[in-house]
Order: sequence, then structure tokens, then C-alpha cells
Amino acid sequence: MAFIRPRLNDYYNLSFTQSEVDFTIPFLDEDIPLFVDPFLLWKSPSLQDNSLHTSLINCFNNIVSLANQNKEEIASRILRDCSECEEAGLGFSETKKGLKIGKHIIENIIKLFKDIPQIRKNGLIHLEEIQLYIEGMGPDRISDFTCSFLKSFLIDYTIEQSKKYDIPLIKIKSIDVYDYKKHDIVREHDLDLPINPETKKPVLLIPKRWLRKNTWINSDDYFSKFYPEIILKREDKKKINRVDILDYNRKNYDVVQSYIKFKEKIKVDCKNDPLFEPIPIFSTKRILNSILKLSVGREGNADRKYEDYLFKLMASLFYPDLDFAAAQSRTDSGVLIRDLIFYNNRSMDFLKDIFELYKTRQIVFEIKNVKELESEHINQLNRYMANQFGNFGIIITRNRIPKKIFKNTIDLWGGQRKCIIIVNDEDLQIMVSVFESKQRKPIEVVKKKYIEFTRKCPS
Amino acid sequence: MNKEEVESFEKNEAQLRKIYEEMTILSKKKPDDAINEFKLEIINKIIEECNGILKNNKPFKDFKKFDKDLVPSNSDVVVILSQYISCFGKVRSENSVENMVNEFYWLIDNKKSSIRTSRPKQIGYNK
Repeated sequence: MAFIRPRLNDYYNLSFTQSEVDFTIPFLDEDIPLFVDPFLLWKSPSLQDNSLHTSLINCFNNIVSLANQNKEEIASRILRDCSECEEAGLGFSETKKGLKIGKHIIENIIKLFKDIPQIRKNGLIHLEEIQLYIEGMGPDRISDFTCSFLKSFLIDYTIEQSKKYDIPLIKIKSIDVYDYKKHDIVREHDLDLPINPETKKPVLLIPKRWLRKNTWINSDDYFSKFYPEIILKREDKKKINRVDILDYNRKNYDVVQSYIKFKEKIKVDCKNDPLFEPIPIFSTKRILNSILKLSVGREGNADRKYEDYLFKLMASLFYPDLDFAAAQSRTDSGVLIRDLIFYNNRSMDFLKDIFELYKTRQIVFEIKNVKELESEHINQLNRYMANQFGNFGIIITRNRIPKKIFKNTIDLWGGQRKCIIIVNDEDLQIMVSVFESKQRKPIEVVKKKYIEFTRKCPS
Repeated sequence: MNKEEVESFEKNEAQLRKIYEEMTILSKKKPDDAINEFKLEIINKIIEECNGILKNNKPFKDFKKFDKDLVPSNSDVVVILSQYISCFGKVRSENSVENMVNEFYWLIDNKKSSIRTSRPKQIGYNK
């Protein structure tokens, strides 16, 4: 059984949580579903970020200049090579393997640089606006171009953060870096960088403050909110397709610029997106009430609803002490079982305890929407407790458990030193109550259950 | 009781009553809400001092203080504090004496002292 959604720190057994570090912790077998938004660098109060944005724009405008000096071949090569930055690991790829942009898009970009007089003369102010002219350019490409052009900085940043958090650095043979002085890509050798232990390829750490789910300036936003108001009557909107709009934009540079100015004006609303955003307090209370009203069993899909509610609730309640890994389904003896998996980052003494005593690197919460918990339910979780889960697991169920079941769990500890904690609706109510009042942390309610359990165990 | 014990009694009882009042307000609003660690630490300090004063008159033999890991609620704390207040009343009534004009004085080393005290709420004080 493999580690579920492994991250770089899990592989190296490093205990920091996502909220403690300045960068987004990379996944080992999938990309981080966020993008670097250059607008965040432009609007940042940090002079360093502003300077990096200027460098980024200079790099890109150098390509504009090359295109207009009839050096299309060099411009095309740089565009192609900088269009993918695998080391950053951002986007929606499940294979961590990206593709560079095709010849057709490169030709369109070069053509754009030549065709629009204002761009030909002054270049671009925001790299993201290229999405408003070229089909096939989206936030993923903008993010990759940004990471490629700023790779030199990102390498230094990665080394600094790796040293700070003890992430092992491995000497890598070579890595392609954009050289700001030569305005070309150069191959750097023998750099110390963290590597993805599965692909053996170097990994770059990306500051959280640069990341968004979509770029602030983007074509969807332009099409849905800005373009129709200015150009189209509402009834015409459906008739116009995206390519027509891009074509319109290329011929109406000023309209695009007024959109850019508008987005600059409301820059205060542009914030970075976290990888995980806990739901607000009123939502936790609403979900809890829905759970409490829910019937036990499967009638009316109650089991499925219970699982969905818990998935939303628990990930938020335990944040930032436990990072949520995944909700998963599995079958045990023909029974479908849903689990919630959290990374054990050892962010508090209780979590350190279960890491050391039970070798728990990921915590499994098994969900049971049943009236009364039975021995078979304990056995199902017991069979699953191995590898990264160690000898510790939690069952979330509806009601207090019968004494014989509690004795079962004590006997399991006595015989196999396996610890199964059972959390019910009453505990959920306390968790939501402390989440709301902020008097204690919801994870402390789990700790309480654990301590109550250990006190009943034979010494 | 000696003079130092009387002074300590008065100080701790005042603290106990004040924190009880505060916790009663909280408990009325949210009886099942967990008390935060800071408040619990303060309450535990007061309780530990009270245990030293009450000695064998403690409300429960096996209760020494709250376990913060067991996440006690506001109402848990109110119940325990009210028990301590009752026990303080019992000790006061056993160690005070009333004069002819309904004023109460501490008994120090079993003799009426000049230190006044409040009227014990428990029945059975000395006349």
C-alpha cells in the first residue's frame, strides 16, 4: 500500500506543515493545482517581487525585440524552451510531465509581436495579457513562462528554503536556466537542488505568495465580465466564440488596455490562493446541523451524504494542525469503505506521540454512518492499519459505542498494540463548538479521546 | 487556623468566588464549550492553592486539578468551583465566631481574634 498523495517532506520524513512554510510543498506524483500569477509580483509591496516582475517583462519583451529584428528563429527557440517548467510542478498534470508549446502557437505569438504596433514599439506591460490575444495560451503557460524566466531566482530560493527546513540537496548534473545578461538559455552544471525521489528530477520550491488558481488577468474574466459590457449587447453574447474575441482584441488594443487598467485599479482584491482554504465557521455549523439531522444507514443516500459532509468538515476543523491528503474509497471483503486521510506532520505533542508509538505517518479516519458500531467495523480498520498508517486509526460514527466494542478496542491494544479511537456526533459537536469559539483546537478533542482510551488500557 | 492561614483563606476565597462568577456567565452562554488553556491554567493554580488551605475538607479526595488534555467544558469548571466554594463556607463556619451584634470574627488558634469575617453561609457556626 503506497503513501497517499505523497509530498516531498513525507518522503524525507520532515515534520513541517503547509501553513508553517513559505513555499507550497510539492507533491511527488502530481502537480500542485495552482499557477504563478505575475500580477501578484507586480502588485506585491516587496521591492524584490517588483524587480522580479520587471526582469520577467524585460525577458519577454526581449523576445518581442528579437522578433522584430528578424531573429524569429532565436525568439521561437526561447519561447519554446521557456514554455514549460517541469521543476516547478504547477498545474493540473497527474503525471508531472508537461509539454512545450507547439509551432503554431509560437508563430502566432511572433506574429502578434509584429502585428500590433503598440506591442512592437513598447512591448508588454503584463505577460498575462498575451492570453487575450492568442488561442492556446492560458494560466498554465503564463505560469511556466514566469518560472522559466525567473528560474535563477527560484533556484536560490529553493536552496535557501531547503537548508532552512533540512530538505536534502542533491548535486544535479545540469539544469537549463534563462540568463538575464545574455538573454538566452544557458546550461548550469553541478547545482545542489532537492530532487523528486520518484522521478529523480530537480524540484523548485515556489513561494506561496505568488500562487493563484487562475491569473488575475485572464481570458475567462475578460470574456464574462468586461468584454460583453463594452462591446456586445447581452443577446449577442452566445453567438460570439472565443476565437472571434481574440481576433477582436488584436484589432482593438485600446479595449484590452482599458481592461488591464481596470484590473490594475482593483489590484487590492487580487490575493494569492492557498492550496487549501478552510470553510468559514458558519459553514461548519451548517454542515454539523446537516449531519445531526441525517438518518443512519444507507436510506436516501445518507451514507454518501454523511461522507461528503465529513470530508468538508474535518479538513477544515483540523487545519492547520493536520494537512488534508485525500478522501478515498476502498473495498474490504466486498464492502465499500470511505476514508479521510491526513498527513501526520507532528505539529503537536499528541501527533508526535502517535508518530513515535504507532509509526503513524498518515492518519486514517474511517467513516461509518451506522446506528451501532460492530466488531466487524473495528476489524475492517484493523486490517487496513499498516505501512504509513502504522498502528493507529480513527473511526467516525454517529452514536456512542457499546461497552463490548470499546472493550474490543482495548483488547486490540492489549494484544497487538493497535490503537483505534472512536469519534461520534457528540465529539463532532464539541469540535465545531471549539472551532467557533477558538477556545481550544478541534484536534485536541481527538487527543482527549486518545487519552481517555490510553487510561483504560492495561498498564 | 493561624493568622497566615486566615489571610490566605480570605485571598483565595475571593479569587475563587470571582472566577466562579465569571465562569457562571460563560457557562450560561455556552455550557458545553471547552475552556481555553490560559483560563484553565489560572483556575488550576487557584484550585491547587485551595487544596492546600482545605486539606481534608477538599470536596473530592481524588480531584486535584483539571486535566487540560481532557478538554473540560465551562459547565465542568462551574460544578467543581461551586463545590470548592461550599467547602470554603464549611471551613469558615467552623473557624469563626459571632458576637452579640451579629458580627463574625475568625477563631485564631481556637481563640476569638479581632479579625472580622463575613457571615458564614453554612449552618453551624459558633455563637
